[in-house]
Amino acid sequence: MHESDDASDLALMARVARGDEPAYRQLTRRHLPAMLGLARRILGNAADAEDVAQEAMLRVWTHAPRWQPLAAFRTWLTRIVVNLCLDRKRRARWVDLEAAGDIVDPAPTAGEAAEQDEREKLLTAAIADLPARQRTAIVLTYSEGMSNAQVAEILETTVSAVETLLIRGKQNLRQRLGDVIDKDD
Amino acid sequence: MTEDRLDKLLHKTLKREEPAPADVDRVLKRLAGRLPRQRFALWRLPNVLLDWQFAPAWPRVAALACCAALGFFIGIAGVDRHLSRSGYIAGGGGLGTIVFEPDPLTGARP
Repeated sequence: MHESDDASDLALMARVARGDEPAYRQLTRRHLPAMLGLARRILGNAADAEDVAQEAMLRVWTHAPRWQPLAAFRTWLTRIVVNLCLDRKRRARWVDLEAAGDIVDPAPTAGEAAEQDEREKLLTAAIADLPARQRTAIVLTYSEGMSNAQVAEILETTVSAVETLLIRGKQNLRQRLGDVIDKDD
Repeated sequence: MTEDRLDKLLHKTLKREEPAPADVDRVLKRLAGRLPRQRFALWRLPNVLLDWQFAPAWPRVAALACCAALGFFIGIAGVDRHLSRSGYIAGGGGLGTIVFEPDPLTGARP
């Protein structure tokens, strides 16, 4: 994200904190697509991702007067989305697995899903099976292109803990996919 | 599987894709309704007071000066004395003029 965008976000947030609704709408239009995509990649479910994105943007409005620009707005918003996703994952753990059905493919359209090769499909399913924090660390690193320090800030943990999450996540993926992918190559 | 191959595959599989505009519009529509009340923190109150502008606003200063001048001229001209004289109550002999006169005791009973 450009510094000018961040400065503009800060200016908009200052207006939102004073109850300026048009500023809030502008901020929402700017960040909603990215946050919706992130929630979809973490949750692997389009409907849940929409709920999370909506809830996150509402929290921006309600918490704006309390917000202090200690971090970039984007980082703060990403943290809200990630926390909401992790909460939802935690709650989903109590759902009967048989009733929950198959894991939904996070790809948004059928055409794009058809283009994915077999390995990518397997990897997507394997990522969906990872523990929530490992999965979140992997999505933030590989999809959002964040550094370990940024991921640590969002997950409210240390850089070494993020490194551990990534190592364990990749170990789990290798255990599950290793044979299949090695055969293909 | 080597580390590099897994990294490449992860980058490829998790490549950042923006959601479809229709999906974004659907969420925007859900947010288009009336927004909830914002939450204000009590610890922000001292900041509000510190940010308060105490510099005088000139229209208010002019209004205050006009009121002060009007009061001064009313006092000089004695308009208030004329008003108080016209409403003067006659027969004011002080507290001594107030007599407590109870009913006479006749011994008769009703």
